[in-house]
Amino acid sequence: MRILRRWRHPASWTIFRLDDRLLLILIAVIVGTCSGLAAVALNRSLIAMFEWLHHFRHYWWSFIMPAIGAALSALFLDKMVKEGAGHGVPEVIYSVSRYGGLMRFRSSFSRLISSCLTIGSGGSAGPEAPVVMSGAAIGSNIAKLFSLNDRQRVTIVGCGAAGAISSIFNAPIAGMVFSIEVILGEWKAVNIVPIAIASVAGTEISRILQGNQIAFSHRLFHIGHLDIVACIGLAIISAVASVLLTRLLRSMHGVSKKAPFPIWVRAAAGGCAVGIIGIFLPIVLGEGYHPLRTMIEGAYTQGLGIVTLAVFAKILATSLTLGWGGSGGIFAPCLVIGSLAGLTYHRGLVLLWPSVPWVNEGCFALLGMAGLISGMLHAPLTGIFLIIEITGGYEVILPLIIVSVISTTLCHYIEPVSFYLKELVEKGQLLRPGTDARVLSDLSVQELLEKDCIIVKQNMLLRDFINIIKKSHRNYFPVEDENTGNFLGMIHLDDIRPYLFNPLMYDAVVLGQIMDTDVKVVYLDDDLSEVLRKMDVNRLFSMPVIASRKFLGMISKATLLDKYRNELMVQTDL
Amino acid sequence: MKLNLNDMARCLDLPVSTVDRWIRQGRIPIHRSGNGCIFKESILEKWAFNHGLRFSLPNEERKKERNFGLTNLLPAMQVGGVFHDIKGDDVESVLKSAVDKLPVPAINKQGLYERLLEREALTSTGIGKGVAIPHPRASLPDEIDNSLITTCFLEKPIDFEAVDDRAVFVMFILLSTSIKNHLNLLSRLAFCVRDDSFVEFLRTYPDSSSLLSKIADSENLLDKVDN
Repeated sequence: MRILRRWRHPASWTIFRLDDRLLLILIAVIVGTCSGLAAVALNRSLIAMFEWLHHFRHYWWSFIMPAIGAALSALFLDKMVKEGAGHGVPEVIYSVSRYGGLMRFRSSFSRLISSCLTIGSGGSAGPEAPVVMSGAAIGSNIAKLFSLNDRQRVTIVGCGAAGAISSIFNAPIAGMVFSIEVILGEWKAVNIVPIAIASVAGTEISRILQGNQIAFSHRLFHIGHLDIVACIGLAIISAVASVLLTRLLRSMHGVSKKAPFPIWVRAAAGGCAVGIIGIFLPIVLGEGYHPLRTMIEGAYTQGLGIVTLAVFAKILATSLTLGWGGSGGIFAPCLVIGSLAGLTYHRGLVLLWPSVPWVNEGCFALLGMAGLISGMLHAPLTGIFLIIEITGGYEVILPLIIVSVISTTLCHYIEPVSFYLKELVEKGQLLRPGTDARVLSDLSVQELLEKDCIIVKQNMLLRDFINIIKKSHRNYFPVEDENTGNFLGMIHLDDIRPYLFNPLMYDAVVLGQIMDTDVKVVYLDDDLSEVLRKMDVNRLFSMPVIASRKFLGMISKATLLDKYRNELMVQTDL
Repeated sequence: MKLNLNDMARCLDLPVSTVDRWIRQGRIPIHRSGNGCIFKESILEKWAFNHGLRFSLPNEERKKERNFGLTNLLPAMQVGGVFHDIKGDDVESVLKSAVDKLPVPAINKQGLYERLLEREALTSTGIGKGVAIPHPRASLPDEIDNSLITTCFLEKPIDFEAVDDRAVFVMFILLSTSIKNHLNLLSRLAFCVRDDSFVEFLRTYPDSSSLLSKIADSENLLDKVDN
């Protein structure tokens, strides 16, 4: 029995307590492997779903399939695992910034199933974000098993996300960079080492199970100087497309929230609309890896008009799927929209300047993908590395950097916050390490309490009070009721200064007459940012803290600065 | 080493909730096991130093506190001693013979004498009712270990240019280790002298033991008022 108990708590094994960094690396291997497996599992089941449903595609009622899938996935999320819809990455970032990476165990599989239903049936969404969420949840739960502290847990959550992305794209660097740039937002060696290990583990798992294939291989491109100049235009187009997608996704979300139907009906409506679009433009259906491959090879034969239409159709379909309650990520749709935008741009160029020897259109498809990813996520590095790795083409690096950087900058102008973070920032819940918001949210009123105030009673005479002043270190004296102990008001030394040297007043005045009853108070569970705002508005330097009408202590800006500095130093070291 | 959370917080001079949170978030090199905090002293000390925090184990802390404490009247007077029949006709000669009697062997008595005179030149230390409290302007942290008050009953009352022009018959020479101690002793002494019955008692030229017991009584009274 005892041995069993020891097995249940691996955190108590001495071998794991030898060195924290070694322990983290070991756990990173485990987490990377598990999330890699999750990614492979989703990928395989998507392929299976696709093959199984392929036979039904040419029936006239096939447009209902995305509706059924989306409705089932919404029902599953809402009724069975009781999680909100959405793609999952914001949830991971939220848990990292607010709860030290704590996530529920069921999150490690819920999104896999729901996104499989949505995408497999033809909904326009990507399998990456659900895999990231699963990987992160797996990491979080393994970290909990080893009873790691918050900082280590956050790193392991990052490992899960990195392993997932690495595995699904067979792209270790992209996984690493995505995890650090988007999920953690903190470039530090303590994070990078385990995350790199997890990426390797995830990639290796995917290579063992699926073979070392480059997702979108292509022919060699010969890029001329003019092509690089033309990239700037592509960057602008992809920035516009990403802003459009961001806006449309958000507004769809707003519209569907107002619709007075249960969530699965909404999801079904969205899916149905996608299915109808899919009848005319089948490219919008599913995660779209197959058409992507054709486009990069330069074998996509539709004309300029259709391609342009497809860009908008895909944007619309993605917003309909995700905004109305389907489950999945925006990664793959971004890639598809990006390559469609690239194709459009290329065909436009050829139409305008037919004599210029432009590079193959597949190259522009690649660049458009990078532009969209960078623009949507505000993560230029992720865009650059992902495209290099999934296409195995290093020769496009220069235009790739230009497109990614310009697209990110432009999107930053129009949408200051990336799509993933927007909701969090609006709620004030994005707490990146080392920032003011992070420090203020970590400190609590309880920790700043100064308890060296001497509490006085309301019926005390001024004479007795003067004896108390002699011994006190503070200028503030809280007054409470003798019988109930409730807080009544404050006396500041300034209030009694006029009477201090007038002995006639000593026995004539009780404190209840002098005290200030109109005091701004702070409650124990107030947010510090709110407390600080109150202090600034009222020009106060200290305020009394009250809990259930009793005085607890004072909170002052001086102590706050002291603790704030301590906290900042402790949080930003290493 | 292992300490419980409350002691740990005291050692670091931080609120318990802060230490608890830092351990949970992994910001401080301490491991939790139940309510215990496991840490390596040297590592934690270095960490605290690097982050501008204080860290001291409980017993070291207590030692420091004692050094900063204030001396009360009674121990200071016990160290200083009580002397009768100090000879002299004016301020200088009285101070000269009083300084010679001071029970502080290590001190430069000529220097101290000059410093006392220097203070008298500023304004008289005769505080009235026949009492004077000569003291140097600066405290003497390097020359004496403990603050002391030497009580000197004069052979005959002399003119000290006191505030009320009454002849001084007793001097309390006050030497202190710090300004804070000086002020504390001075205010306690002043409290005693303010009481007329105490001065009447002094006029009986009491011997050392009865003076000290009277001082102890007065001091108890003073502490009672404070509380």
